[in-house]
Amino acid sequence: MAMIECRELTREYHKADQVIRPLDGLNLDVPRGDFLALMGPSGSGKTTLLNLIAGIDSPTRGSLTVEGSDLAQMSRNGLAAWRSTHVGYVFQLYNLVPVLTAYENVELPMLLQKISRRQRHERVSLALERAGIADRADHYPRQLSGGQEQRVAIARAIVTDPPILVADEPTGDLDKASAHTAMTLLQQLNQDLGKTIIMVTHDPQTTEYAKHTLHLDKGQLVEAGVEREEVPA
Amino acid sequence: MRQLPFHYAFRNLGRSRVRLLASLLGSALVVLLVLAAAGFVRGMQQTLTRPAALHENVIILGTGSEESIERSQINASIEGIVAASIVGIKRRSGVAYASPEIHTLLPVKTEAASDTDRQAVMRGVRDVALLVHPHVEIVDGRFPRAGHDELMVGGLAAIRLGLPEERLAIGQTLCFDDRNWTIVGRFAAPGTVMDAEVWLPLTDLQIATKRPGTISCVVVSLEPADRGGRFVSIDAFTKARLDLEVTAIREQEYYASIAAFLAQIRWMIMITAVLIALGGLLGGLNTMYAAFAARVREVGMLQALGYTRRAIVINLSEESVFAAACGALIGCAVGLLLLDGLAVKFSMGAFALRMDAPVVFAGLVGGLTVGLVGAIPPAVRCLRLPIAEALKSH
Ligand SMILES: Nc1ncnc2c1ncn2[C@@H]1O[C@H](COP(=O)(O)OP(=O)(O)OP(=O)(O)O)[C@@H](O)[C@H]1O
Ligand SMILES: [Mg+2]
Repeated sequence: MAMIECRELTREYHKADQVIRPLDGLNLDVPRGDFLALMGPSGSGKTTLLNLIAGIDSPTRGSLTVEGSDLAQMSRNGLAAWRSTHVGYVFQLYNLVPVLTAYENVELPMLLQKISRRQRHERVSLALERAGIADRADHYPRQLSGGQEQRVAIARAIVTDPPILVADEPTGDLDKASAHTAMTLLQQLNQDLGKTIIMVTHDPQTTEYAKHTLHLDKGQLVEAGVEREEVPA
Repeated sequence: MRQLPFHYAFRNLGRSRVRLLASLLGSALVVLLVLAAAGFVRGMQQTLTRPAALHENVIILGTGSEESIERSQINASIEGIVAASIVGIKRRSGVAYASPEIHTLLPVKTEAASDTDRQAVMRGVRDVALLVHPHVEIVDGRFPRAGHDELMVGGLAAIRLGLPEERLAIGQTLCFDDRNWTIVGRFAAPGTVMDAEVWLPLTDLQIATKRPGTISCVVVSLEPADRGGRFVSIDAFTKARLDLEVTAIREQEYYASIAAFLAQIRWMIMITAVLIALGGLLGGLNTMYAAFAARVREVGMLQALGYTRRAIVINLSEESVFAAACGALIGCAVGLLLLDGLAVKFSMGAFALRMDAPVVFAGLVGGLTVGLVGAIPPAVRCLRLPIAEALKSH
């Protein structure tokens, strides 16, 4: 069974008497350990799909099963608890809390876990280490570059050790070098830690780091992604 | 449910100095207002109805003037009749505790040439008044002698007259009835209406008000035992002697009825205070709306991490309540410094604002309520958007 299964997945918005359907009967299987890049024109439903998989939005119709859980059937609080252990979200604009240090930002998701203070400290340090930003632990977001901020955000996404990472245009605001660093980091997380990653991108170059690329248009997959060779770990 | 750390709420306060200042000031002002209103009400209540101050005295006054001693006019001889014919009046060393008195409001000037009249609450008394009113204590000087244009003043008389304290020191004069009267004594009667009065010999006040042979009332003290029964006997006496045209009323009841009348003022004060506080609350709400609205995306991110809406509302409320609590403490400190003991004058006299524990408690609760009530609607509004939309906002 695939880790993520979308069946006839549909998301609709009703504006006045108009129906907007960013996702229209989408079928998709994502196997465990995949690194999937999603491309497509603006408004094609990429973010919508990502939000559904991350459990921060609910489908109008169809089913969405992630690791055996039917997300469409979960309550609001049930989804919140599920998110805190199953997905890490990396945003285009990092979304770090400006009044917290890098360390404290990464610690935020860990405060939802029932573990000792010492264990928490170890996990936060490890995540910062992995993201290569441990030396900036005590810095506030305003004291960091965009690329560094994104690495803190990635540390925050992996600190709870979730099986799935979703990233919405994670390099959209980064220069080439920073984008490369961030993408390499994601690739390592996929290869070394076996994280299943779904990434939305507009930049064909970043798809090079992914294992598969899929194209969305008008809420549907338009063609099978070009299979890339598995890079040996 | 897991909570967001308090240090997050605390540091969020630093995001806007203006907002922090507005929160602190708003809550401090609301607390001050509550302190002023509650202290006022409490001071007034205690002055007019404090049971200890109004031990069981009975006022005998003209029938039809039960509402206001100032309007009562009875024959001066009634004092002798009362003292002689009523059983149960307290007596010590042959002295009957029956005090004939005139209560009146008189325009007083600081000097003959002055244009400003100040309304003084005057009481014409004999020495026996000090026995009947044991709470009155001469703290400086002596009792005024009859026929020498002398008087003595209560602790709050200066406030009542709108004069500086030293203007009523011993040796100073006040002018009324075209004469200068010398202050020879100062008395204290804390927590009673008498504290704001000017006392002078009964006969002098009779002459000054051109009402020889009449008085306002006779205040009598009853023997401690069976006071209820004694009052019944006085009441029966006044009802039997209809020719005297007098009525007996317990001193406590008399002041309670004034307090009831003043309760209307009290409501006005409370309502005004509440309205101004509401204004402060609305102002506070506005700054909160702005502050929280700027954080919609951040709050969306926190939800994406797995924090529940409740955890976020609690954290935002902590932020606001903490600011309000600091403001409330400032308000209390200022209130205790400036308002405690502050005297207020009103038609019947003057009294001091009381900042006791219940009043301060009410003030603090008021401030915290502002913090809580002021935070929840903006917080809820900030969480109104679905997470996916919140993440898109700027
Ligand atoms: N809350 C909403 N209400 C109404 N329509 C919405 C809402 N959210 C998204 N849409 C619509 O759904 C469609 C897909 O939006 P989505 O954000 O998924 O696009 P996208 O592929 O991520 O685009 P982009 O590359 O520009 O980010 C758009 O047409 C958008 O207008
Ligand atoms: Mg998008």
